Amino acid sequence: FNMASSFWKGVVGVGLFALAHAAFSAAQHRSYMRLTEKEHETLPIDIVLQTLLSFVMTCYGIVHIAGEFKDMDASSELKNKTFDTLRNHPSFYLFNHRGRVLFRTPEEEPSSVRNQQALPNPLRLRKLENLH
Amino acid sequence: MRSSTEISWKKTSSRVLWTSDWAEEMRDKLRKWREDTCRNSEQIVDVGEELISEHASKLGDDIWIIYEQVMIAALDCSRDDLALICLQELRKQFPDSHRVKRLTGMRLEALERYDEANKHYDAILQDDPTNTAARKRKISILKAQGKSTEAIRELNEYLEQFVGDQEAWHELSELYINEHDYGKAAFCLEELMMTNPHNHLYCEQYAEVKYTQGGLENLELSRKYFAQALRLNNRNMRALFGLYMSASHIAASPKVSAKVKKDNMKYAAWAATQINRAYKLAGRGTKENKCSIKAVEEMLESMQITMS
Repeated sequence: FNMASSFWKGVVGVGLFALAHAAFSAAQHRSYMRLTEKEHETLPIDIVLQTLLSFVMTCYGIVHIAGEFKDMDASSELKNKTFDTLRNHPSFYLFNHRGRVLFRTPEEEPSSVRNQQALPNPLRLRKLENLH
Repeated sequence: MRSSTEISWKKTSSRVLWTSDWAEEMRDKLRKWREDTCRNSEQIVDVGEELISEHASKLGDDIWIIYEQVMIAALDCSRDDLALICLQELRKQFPDSHRVKRLTGMRLEALERYDEANKHYDAILQDDPTNTAARKRKISILKAQGKSTEAIRELNEYLEQFVGDQEAWHELSELYINEHDYGKAAFCLEELMMTNPHNHLYCEQYAEVKYTQGGLENLELSRKYFAQALRLNNRNMRALFGLYMSASHIAASPKVSAKVKKDNMKYAAWAATQINRAYKLAGRGTKENKCSIKAVEEMLESMQITMS
């Protein structure tokens, strides 16, 4: 998975280099034309082709390394969202819930005959199988 | 997404081959939980504890936000030792940060030392009156102490200043629902629907509040919003059930004209067939399919509201 992304990064690099090379060739061609006073000749076709091809290659490579695409339909992203997560407001989290007691480790207390039984082992809630 | 059984393998497999991959995977998982605001604190503590104790070097700068995430999860799981460790690391790294002060306050809240926590937040607000996080924590303290009217009042004042805070609007709607003030809760949800027109869950919750309010007008409104929620997400079962219930109620009401009655019975019938179909599709291939389909049909029949 990392190899694939470096391949596309390579593609983008090659494309950009080819683009720069084509630009340089076009500039050189232009100065050559000026020197030989043939200013009316158009750019040779191979330079044009190289420019276009390298542009396409760069675009294609960038699309592949740019990351995941999102759906155009704004509501489709939310299709899997449920109230379980929507109702959580991290800035307003409260901590006075049962978790404070359920997960507490039992204190070390000598259990005498008169005392009630010491707290049983904390309820290590089994990891819910279908949670994410 | 992977199930949590794979996370429970970590203690055996992480030592073996994929130590660095496991760390990266768990870091991405933690980020996903952060972004989705999941409150699966036990998992976060399990994963985060191992991550920060053994793989701290691979986390880079992410480690600070992971400390914060693990600290809050540790407070949920009554792991005060872990929470203190995370807090101390954060304090060492960011000595004058308001964000860290807020975490200190949260830890005090978890230990039910509300007055000290309030002092912390007041200090932050004196330093920076626009700090929203400290204001929200003060409101949470009021909520924790059961002073819901004060909490509602403070939250209203906060929202007058910071109108765009969607979390706060949703929190206010929840506070109003707890006080059975459905009209105001509906208003808060309307604000949320306006800013998030494509979110089917706000539509659906609004419809449920209207349905709870009762009365013919509210029932019709709730039916419309259940339908809107379904349009936004045709897999929302609650909205489907809501559509069925509200349409049946309207059809059974004595005050409606015959045409409205007929229309609503049509809607209810459509919703019932959709529900049956959804359960058939969901259960196909499983042995319990026939029983569950029968159960759904019986439930729909018994829910049919008849005129008494």
